[in-house]
Amino acid sequence: MKNLIYIVILAWLSLALSFDLSTSNELAPDKSVSEILNALGDPNPTHYRANIDPQQVEMGRQLVYNGRTKMPDGSMSNYISKFYVCTDCHNQVQEDPILTESDPEKRLQYINEKGLKFLQATTFWGMVNREFWYNDDYVLKYGSLVEAAHKSLEESTQLCARECSSGRYLEAWELEAIIQYYWTLELKIKDLNLSSSEYSSLETALKSGNQNPTLIKMLKSKYALKSPATFVSEPENRGEGFSDLVGNAENGELIWENSCKTCHREYGPSQLLLDNSRFTFNKFKRNFKKDSNFNLYTIIRHGTYAEPGHRQYMPLYPEERMSNQQIEDIRAFIERELQ
Amino acid sequence: MDRSWGTEQLKTMTKYFIILFGGLIALSSVAQDRQVVPQLFKDTRVVNGHSVQTSEKSEMKFIISHRFGYVNTGIKELFGLDQSTIRIGLDYGISNRLTVGLGRSSFEKTVDGFLKFNALRQTKGDKAFPVSVTAFASSAMTTIEWKDEERENYFSSRLAYTYQILIARKFSDAFSWQIMPTLVHQNLVPTGEFSNDILAIGSATRLQVSKMISIQTEYYYALPNQLPDNYTNSLSVGVDIETKGHVFQLHLSNSRGMIEKYFVANTTGKWEKGDISMGFNITRDFRLRGRK
Repeated sequence: MKNLIYIVILAWLSLALSFDLSTSNELAPDKSVSEILNALGDPNPTHYRANIDPQQVEMGRQLVYNGRTKMPDGSMSNYISKFYVCTDCHNQVQEDPILTESDPEKRLQYINEKGLKFLQATTFWGMVNREFWYNDDYVLKYGSLVEAAHKSLEESTQLCARECSSGRYLEAWELEAIIQYYWTLELKIKDLNLSSSEYSSLETALKSGNQNPTLIKMLKSKYALKSPATFVSEPENRGEGFSDLVGNAENGELIWENSCKTCHREYGPSQLLLDNSRFTFNKFKRNFKKDSNFNLYTIIRHGTYAEPGHRQYMPLYPEERMSNQQIEDIRAFIERELQ
Repeated sequence: MDRSWGTEQLKTMTKYFIILFGGLIALSSVAQDRQVVPQLFKDTRVVNGHSVQTSEKSEMKFIISHRFGYVNTGIKELFGLDQSTIRIGLDYGISNRLTVGLGRSSFEKTVDGFLKFNALRQTKGDKAFPVSVTAFASSAMTTIEWKDEERENYFSSRLAYTYQILIARKFSDAFSWQIMPTLVHQNLVPTGEFSNDILAIGSATRLQVSKMISIQTEYYYALPNQLPDNYTNSLSVGVDIETKGHVFQLHLSNSRGMIEKYFVANTTGKWEKGDISMGFNITRDFRLRGRK
């Protein structure tokens, strides 16, 4: 009888433990969001890679950070661009505190806390989880140039390499290495901040092995499937600026240091050095009313263009990357520094 | 008068400079993680001479320099504009600190090459360093035909060398000052009144007047008893105008040479007599490789 009791207890314990282990395996915090989506019946995207090769990932990382990489034969690859590297415009970690929002003001506070840059383009973190790239006004403005890139991560990477970085198209192996690197930055289930009931529903669904469109929809509502881009105009009267907004010089200083000066620094991608001298601030102040590349509103909203013999240019900031309020903040900072 | 240096002397000089260069390279490797003061001068040239600035890594700088005749030549020579000499040069940044350059001047058909290393950088903050220091070495070779083909001419007579230590400080956003201890060695000098080795002290300033415009002065004082009485010191004033990818330098100078041998050791113009030549440098930067 005693033996029977032991056997029952052991069997119960084993069952309990096996449930526990199975639960932790299904939804470990580091579980890939794309894998869960696929398990729930969502087809893998075309840029999905079942096998990630660490060597390719490292090559992709070097291409993103340095613009070239050491190839298996030990030689260095050609630079993708002579002027830019991906990290000039893209962060590599989470940059928005709320994954469904692309709010530049919340982002500014977040990047300040985390010591990141405040950049024109979207982070590569979670890039593979998005479903559209070069969105909204990029499509409207550039039309057929971005049509393929809008729907394909591979195509958008090629477009960025060739056009946005004033460089060249990637070779197949380079593109593959970068795509594999992107996959190391994919969203994990812990990043989505699920409620306990959402978590339980997911666990149950995963155990059942059934397709579940409702949960797919729920998961995809937890992060942005695209990075919105709205091109906005300068104020009607540039001298007055956005007269309904009051600039905050402290925020302006954060943007100046973490955005403007990330490019306009010594040995940076831009040849124009923006130091914190009165000459620099005066130059901007004198151009508040003028149609000039030193007009804050014009340069931020329109950027500049690559020209023959001078391929460096400044990309514009869409509204989701810098708000009108933030432009006024920079203006307030400049005016404060000149007092 | 040919006072060609002996091979031994040249070797000794080169050895000392290599030791100095090596020492500066060693010093530069000491981590300078403090806040570097950028752009002490707008360009790698002050007027005729070099500034402490070096070219950016992988950047090719194409420089066209013109020097005209003296303005006191009057309307017949269009105030010197009819007499033009030109130097075409290419500088390349091997690293952000090390620049090499080559050039060719029409004056005496001179080819020159230089090596320039920015060893120390002015920094601010808790562990501030007060100055930027750049070592500069150049050699120049005339290719003009021998004046007297009857005499025995040596190849070495075509050569001249310059060694400089450029020490600069940016005192404020508006003002930088540079001093340039300089040694010019000419293997062949015209007469016994000349010294083959000319020691000079240069002084240069930059006054920023707006974001894109600055005014430079440059003066080279040759120490006494090295040059004949009718030779003088080089004094130049220039304006730098920065535009996208270019720097325009417009200037007035009593020197017409564009390399050290000429403006440090062979200046005869006198400002007070109107021996002032106009000139300009146009630089265009080209990026040959990626930044990292």
